Amino acid sequence: MNEHLLAAEGIVAGYDKKVIIDGIDLVIPSNKISVIIGANGCGKSTLLKTFARLIKPTSGDIVLDGKQISSYPSKSLAQKLGLLPQSPVVPEGITVFDLICRGRFPYRTMMKGMNKADFEAVEEAMEIMGITELANRSVDELSGGQRQRVWIALALAQQTDILLLDEPTTFLDIAYQVEILDLLTKLNQERGTTIVMVLHDINLSARYADYLFAVAKGELIVQGTPQEIISSELMKEVFSLDCQVIEDPVAGSPLIVPIGKYHQAT
Amino acid sequence: MKIRKKLVLFIAILAAILFCVLLSLAWGSRSIPFAEIIDILTGKGGDSFNVDVVRTRIPRTIFGILAGAALGVSGALMQSITRNPIADPSILGVNTGASLFVVCGIAFFNINLPQQYIWFALVGGSLTSAFVYAVASIGGEGATPLKLALSGAAVSMAFGSLVSTVMLPKSNVMDDFRFWQVGSIGGAGWDDIKIIVPYLLFGFVIAICLVPSLNSLALGDEMATSLGVNTKLTRGLGALAGVLLCGATTALAGPIGFVGLMIPHFMRSLFGPDLKYIMPMSAFGGACLLVISDVMGRLAGSPGELEVGIVTAFLGAPVFIMVARKAKVKSL
Repeated sequence: MNEHLLAAEGIVAGYDKKVIIDGIDLVIPSNKISVIIGANGCGKSTLLKTFARLIKPTSGDIVLDGKQISSYPSKSLAQKLGLLPQSPVVPEGITVFDLICRGRFPYRTMMKGMNKADFEAVEEAMEIMGITELANRSVDELSGGQRQRVWIALALAQQTDILLLDEPTTFLDIAYQVEILDLLTKLNQERGTTIVMVLHDINLSARYADYLFAVAKGELIVQGTPQEIISSELMKEVFSLDCQVIEDPVAGSPLIVPIGKYHQAT
Repeated sequence: MKIRKKLVLFIAILAAILFCVLLSLAWGSRSIPFAEIIDILTGKGGDSFNVDVVRTRIPRTIFGILAGAALGVSGALMQSITRNPIADPSILGVNTGASLFVVCGIAFFNINLPQQYIWFALVGGSLTSAFVYAVASIGGEGATPLKLALSGAAVSMAFGSLVSTVMLPKSNVMDDFRFWQVGSIGGAGWDDIKIIVPYLLFGFVIAICLVPSLNSLALGDEMATSLGVNTKLTRGLGALAGVLLCGATTALAGPIGFVGLMIPHFMRSLFGPDLKYIMPMSAFGGACLLVISDVMGRLAGSPGELEVGIVTAFLGAPVFIMVARKAKVKSL
């Protein structure tokens, strides 16, 4: 279990001239599951993308183990830090196995094929995600949940200690959402992988996250464990939502119950 | 797919090339029996007139192989870097752009050396493809297959008529330079081969080196970046190699369309989405297609010849429509 220090230092970022992230400082807890929550358009995806060097901050730095991520050679950074984007592209007709093999790109040297370590990493990733028997199937034919497991397996084959995921459960039904989050928890517990993700569902975030970052209007509002920070006041501030917070009867984590216009709180 | 099936397909394609080469040496305005060709090639001699005919058909055939391979690989590169199944040097306007610049060079700057043609063609090809791609990117959702096809067709048509406009007043040279309007490999000789080989070699080497990065790029820009691919550099080098291959070919043979569209598509259906196979196979397939198209042009136009660019357009148009229809549903 390797410990890493991943931090944002005074990040300002955006697209074109529009500032979306306006001065965020935070440290990602090593070997934990962290979730970034916030309303649509608040900048949480942009924040994740600056960590994955998809967006270059206009000022401030993302620092990994004391060095700016922009100073790492791209392949060696890709051996430490992996990302599952929100909508990656499936090449037409590719098999599960071939797709996951592409996660080994950071370890490839010019003109050399896959070696034993590469195949072992791919097989292990398929095993953890429970998709070994799908290896020769075409990815096009898979269900949404299976497909998402394949993508996570690709990120696992990349063998990074830190894994960033941009809304990994968005297009999935509730059963698959729980399944994916369970698998990520397993990964975190067995391998100590540091997981940082953006999630929409507050209740699932509160249950699965060790640590939450709440973002609104490009700024970090509050951070802490779900128990510490989830409150009806925070929901009001971040989502402009009236709600009650009760205890999740299964996990004991905070559970928010929205109120809305047509129902009364008792 | 199993390795053995790929090997069988590979051998079949090599055999097809060999067969096309034989046909190219044998068929034309004067047909020569296969047995006699073998005799001539192995130095056993034959009818002296036939020997001369075969001797002129040899460089033409070799040039056809090189040009076809270049166009096939160029198409595979363009489709990969744009992640667009309809991208092809001819759709992106590399062909007509290269043609226009060479024709302008001849008309206004009195260039007359093949080396000069190549450099004019390379500049014209890169500028035009960048222009077509930029036009297609205007508006939301970027350069979709449909928008790319439309902007490419519009630019190609405009440039095609500009080529005619520049050439029309020079009716005396028009016949010699007709291949700037429709590509032909009929006039290719050993000199052309010597000139073009270094450019193509450079292009092929870049293409092969880019294969792993392009395979990652196929997963989307974000995924590729996360895997450690420099997407800008990969795209830039890919475009450079693509324009080099197609531009150099166009400089000496004129615009030959659709090879770069048809072949990578066909190879993808045979070998799957891994560029490790598609890239080299597009070279072999392109060579095969161009040589056989050239032979068909000789037969169809007999006693004269139909330019190979016309034949590939005939073969390519239906494939183009098919791919475009499919691409509406799913982009690469």
